[in-house]
Order: sequence, then structure tokens, then C-alpha cells
Amino acid sequence: MIELLHTAFIEPLGQAFFVKSMIGGTIAAVVCSVIGCLVILRKMSFLGDALSHAMIAGVSGGYLFMKLIFDVEAYAPAMLIGSIIAAVVTVALIGFVSNISRIKEDTAIGIIYTGIFAAGVVLVSVFHEYIHIDIVHFIMGDVLGIADSDLWVAAIVASIVLTLIILFFRYFQITAFDPIMAASIGIPVVLIDYLLTTSVSLVVVSAVSMVGVILVVGLLITPAATAYLLSDRLDRMMLLAALFGTTSVIGGLYISIWLDSSGGGAIMLFCTFQFLFVLAVAPRYGMIAKKLRRMRMIPQELTEDILVTILREGGKPVSEQVIKGYIHSHDKYLSKGLRLLTQDEMLISSDGGFKLSDSGEKEAVRILRAHRLWETYLQKVGAPEGQVHSIAHHLEHLHDNEAIGYIDGMLGHPEEGPHGESIPADPLQVAKGKKFQLSLLRTGSEATVTAIGERAKKSGLKKGNCIVLESRVDDGETWVVSVGRRKIRLDHSASDDIEVELSGNNH
Amino acid sequence: MAGKKSSNLESALQVKNLTVSYGPKPALLDISFDIPPGIMVGIIGPNGSGKSTLLKSILGFIEPDFGSVNVFGNPLAESKGKVAYVPQRGAVDWDFPVTVEQVALMGRYGKIAWWKNPGKDDRDLVDEALKMVKMENFRKRQIGQLSGGQQQRVFMARALTQGADLLLLDEPFAGVDAATERAILDVLEAAKKNGQTLIVVHHDLATAAEYFDRIILIKQRLYAYGPPEKVLDTDLLSEVYEGNLRVFTELKAKEAAV
Repeated sequence: MIELLHTAFIEPLGQAFFVKSMIGGTIAAVVCSVIGCLVILRKMSFLGDALSHAMIAGVSGGYLFMKLIFDVEAYAPAMLIGSIIAAVVTVALIGFVSNISRIKEDTAIGIIYTGIFAAGVVLVSVFHEYIHIDIVHFIMGDVLGIADSDLWVAAIVASIVLTLIILFFRYFQITAFDPIMAASIGIPVVLIDYLLTTSVSLVVVSAVSMVGVILVVGLLITPAATAYLLSDRLDRMMLLAALFGTTSVIGGLYISIWLDSSGGGAIMLFCTFQFLFVLAVAPRYGMIAKKLRRMRMIPQELTEDILVTILREGGKPVSEQVIKGYIHSHDKYLSKGLRLLTQDEMLISSDGGFKLSDSGEKEAVRILRAHRLWETYLQKVGAPEGQVHSIAHHLEHLHDNEAIGYIDGMLGHPEEGPHGESIPADPLQVAKGKKFQLSLLRTGSEATVTAIGERAKKSGLKKGNCIVLESRVDDGETWVVSVGRRKIRLDHSASDDIEVELSGNNH
Repeated sequence: MAGKKSSNLESALQVKNLTVSYGPKPALLDISFDIPPGIMVGIIGPNGSGKSTLLKSILGFIEPDFGSVNVFGNPLAESKGKVAYVPQRGAVDWDFPVTVEQVALMGRYGKIAWWKNPGKDDRDLVDEALKMVKMENFRKRQIGQLSGGQQQRVFMARALTQGADLLLLDEPFAGVDAATERAILDVLEAAKKNGQTLIVVHHDLATAAEYFDRIILIKQRLYAYGPPEKVLDTDLLSEVYEGNLRVFTELKAKEAAV
């Protein structure tokens, strides 16, 4: 077993080409992934593709230049400079076309890079007697056959680009996030833009020799996208992306050795699977997490229905079986809803079933009050008699305090619904120690006046008076209160403008 | 135009007890109003007050929790084509390869069968509408080459060719200069004279009194509906706008000037 592991993991490390490709690949992947974060956030993924293709023209141009003028075969520095020139020209032409015309940027990229790529293809085929470039090498890359010069190029490019990103991190961040604001505070946005596209060109050029024209885009965007699923901060996203780039190279190289496959292909395959894995399991933005969240979510309507059902059953504990009889919902959801309510300390679970806690009772009363007020409202606005209950059952979930307060006031603070059911007082306002409008008081309650407003000046009530709400007359439009032996009649507007608090033996 | 024949009806738009919600807090609560035909009504209210929800409800994009919307006496579902919508300028791709004339003709698309070409009467309607918004000399222009006010007028023309008698405009005066605002207003006035009913979402309190016959002031519920002098009451506005002072000083300055 240990021997097997040794053959699989340690032995390849003994071979120089493997170590070299691992170092070169890692350097290229790290810088690709880090700058890739900016690329995907600016929605420029297509640009990477464009640059890598346009490079072919630059490489053949550089080759041809040295061959025809100095008769030097495959002079690497010339090819490198050629490809950088091609990349920069591509970027400039894309900017030019999209700036001077109505053509949108993605279309401009498509036009320009295929044009330059085509120029490269024509160049190579016309001068095929002079040029001995293996196009396949460019398309597929050859990470396992990496040359020392490639290694140097990758190292230099990586150090330049990473230094730029670290030095100007804030500038890159703000230019990607809000370019207009960035310009307004004096950041040279255009310069930063060119810096970014030039860096991307450099990075792409250095990585193409390893993973090839087609796969370099993947190295640029996939690790960055993987990190994007896991992080909500750009700096962490860049660190994670670098990590994922590195693991892709290492994992991919081992796979290519074991399967004797193309190095670049194996790296990108590993990178893609890594992305899919993270997509599945990422804690916040992953698929499984999303699914779980949806499954855990209990509709608010259901928990509210449970509370009201238990309230209507009176004070005794209610068994799950009885609740089931009233609420038509999936058993699984119902049990979950009950568990959730118990966790939130709205319900108290005991042997006999479920009982409302203090806070649960308040919530249930509030919803029942909303239901009965909506019923009264519907009756008043002339909803069809047969539908009043079912519409109210839907509307009761609209129980925002302010909205219900408005409906209550509009209806004249009724104490009874259309069929004589009592409408409970607002449990959050009409409570011990709270000050509230006299109009919210229920018949028979005792209260102390704490403030008198403008509209109630002439009522005869004074601050500190102990009152009892005796009755509501004139269809509820007049509040009759007693102060000692005196009876005082108040209209709606006056009773709205008197503030009271509960006193004595109120239930 | 089609507007004339319906002006004898009593109500162009009747909203009754409209309640719309996206959760326990209603976006619109018990909204009722009745707009007679042939007038221009402004909807005002602070950000997030439910203006666009109201607009969407009138267009039938949102199913209300309760309440009804009637257009010229008929429920919304039976009033397809009676209501035209003029979008905010920001919602349009101005580079789109389409001319003034073609945009105006789009108003007819709902009425032309797919196997037919637009007929002479369709073209006549387009001519008429373009003349009305004074854009007949720009018919071959691409829409991006117009000024902000002209663009707004083209979309007005499109609403007119729909043959709709009720026009809903979403902030037509947003981000245009004073001269353009005047030009747009002229078109709205012309449409009104033609018998169309206009409902305009607006956010400039200072000009509201001048522009509209009636104003709807909403913030979740209807705070006021009526003639501007009744609705633009300082106490009422300070309640709705929660003491956003700038608005009131401007309004008071205006009052003082009058």
C-alpha cells in the first residue's frame, strides 16, 4: 500500500521535467487566478479568449521577423515580444471599435480577435516553408515539456503583475466596482484599465505555452469563479483563487502522469471538477446549501395558522393530531413548524400536546385580531358574504402593526366583528405598563389618564383621572367612560387624543 | 382618435379597496379612487411609497390581495389594449436599430395578425399620432439621435397608436431640462384635449400643482386624492414625507411667490 502511494505521488517528484512543470504551472496558475478575479468581476471573460488567440499572430510575426531578417530560427524573445504586441494591439482595437461606434464591447472583442487570429493563420500558411511552428503546441500547450525560457518568462510576468496588483489593489478594486465614482475622486481610471488589460495580455502570453490557447481562458476564470462562490471580499477571493489555481496544477499534473494524458487538459479538467464540487457544497452560494435552506424554510403562513389554531382551542394543551385536523398541510411541514415554534419559545411542548407561551399567545392574539378586523373590513366594503372568511384568512397574514392600526382606526376601533365575535385588543399596545390611546380600550377595562391632547381639551377629563370604559353607544361611535360617579361621553376623535395606561384588575 | 367616444363614461379608472402585499407588510393598503375621463392626474409620494406597485397593479402585472381595478367600467382582465404604458427613459436601449416611425407602429403590433402586414389604417394612425406629438418631421430618425424630450414624445406616440384611452406614464419628467419638460407637458396637454386620460408618476412637488388636475398622494395608503390645492397641504405633506424640509421650503417659497 505504502509502496503504491510512493509510486503514485513521490516517484514523479524525482523527475526534473515533472518538478519543472509543477513550478512553472503553479506560477502561471497563481497569477492567472488572481488577475482572473478582476476579469470575471468586470465581466471580461471573453477578453482572455481573445488575447490568447490573437497571440498566434504575434508569435508567427515574431518568428518570421527574426527568420527573414536575421535568419535566426525560432528565436524565443522575438516570439514573446510579438505576442505581447499582438495582445496590446487587440486590446487597443477593441477599445477603438467600441468607443467610436455603437458596437457593444462583447461584439467588438469577437470581431477583432478573430480578425487578428485569422491574420496569424494566413501568415503561418503562406510562409509555411520558413515557419516551423507547431500550431498544435500552441493550441494544446505542453506543460510537461516546459522550457527553461518559459519558466523565466512566467516568473518575471508573475512578479510584475502580482506586484502591480498588490500595490494598486485599492485602485483596481474601486475601478472594477464603480468606475464613475473612481474617476470623480481623481483615480486615473483609463490608465488603470490599460494596466489591467496589459497585465491580462502578459499573463495570457506566459500561460499559453503551458496550457495552450484554448485552455488558458479556463485557468484565468475558473479558479476565480470557484473562489467567488466562497468569498464575499475581493482580497480573500484573490487568495482563494490562487489556492485553487495551485491545486489545479498539482492535481492535474499527477492525473496526467497516471493516465499518460495531455498535461494542460488534465489541469483544466481537474480545475473544472474542483469548480463543480465547490458549486455543489459551498456553504452560502452552493446548490446543496440553497436546497437545504429552502427545505428548512417553513412558510410563515403555516406557523401563524398553528398559533391561531391553538389559541382558538382555549388554554389547554393541544395535540398534534388535533392541529392536523384544522390545518391542511404536509405532515412533515406541520411537525417542522411545531418544532420551529417550540424552538422560538412561542410554543411549550408538554405531554398533552402544545401550549402557547406568553409571547406565542401575544402573537396569536395579534393574528386573530388581524383576521377579525379584516373580516369586519371586508363586510364593510361589501365583499361577497360567502367569501369573507376565506379572503380574511388570506389577509390575516398581512398583520403589520401599522397597517392593522390603520384598518382598526378606519373602522372606528370595533370591539366586535360582523357576527358578534369579539375582536381582541392589540396585545402589544394595550398591555400593562404601556401608554396607548383611550380609543383602543375594551369595555369594562380600568385605566388611568396620562395625557390629554388638543382635541380632548373640552372632554372634562384630567390627567391622573381613573376611568372605566362603561360602554360603546351610537353604533360604537361614542365611548362612555365613568370617572367616579360622573359619566363622560367621548367621540372618536377625542378618544383618539387621550392617552391612558391600564390600571387595577384588568384581564 | 379613439379617445373621444369614451368621454361620456363616468369613470376612466376606478380603483376600489386595493390591497397588495409582498409579505406581512402591505405595499398598498385599502387604496380607493375614481378618475373621470379626460383629465391628467399625478401620482406623488416618497421613494418606496408604492407608486410603481400601484402602476403595476393598474397594468395588471400584479395580482392584488384584495380589491379591484376597473378601466372604463370594465374589470382589468377585459380591458386589454385600453391601457397604454410609457416606460421610464432609462428602461430603453437607445442604440437599438429602430426608427421613430417603427416605434410608433409598434403600438399597432398587438392588433395586426402575424400573417398580415401593417395596413393603410395602421399607417394613418401612426401619421396622426406623430403629428400630434409634433414628431412627424423625424419619422426616419433612429431613436438614439433624438433629444430626451423627443424620445419621450415618440413613446407617447406609441401609446397613442395603441388606441388606448388611458395612458400611464412612469416619471416622464425625470432627468430632462426645463425646456424639454415644457415640450413633454405640451404633448400631455394635447392628449388630454383629445379625450385621453393620463396618469403620471411624478416626484417634483413644486411643479405638481401646475401640471395636474388632480393629485394622488400615497405612501402605502391613500393620504389624499383631489385637486392640487387640497392635496398639497403642508401638514399632510410633512406627515407623508416625514419632515423632508427641502421639499417644503421650496413649496412655501412657491406659495409666497403666488
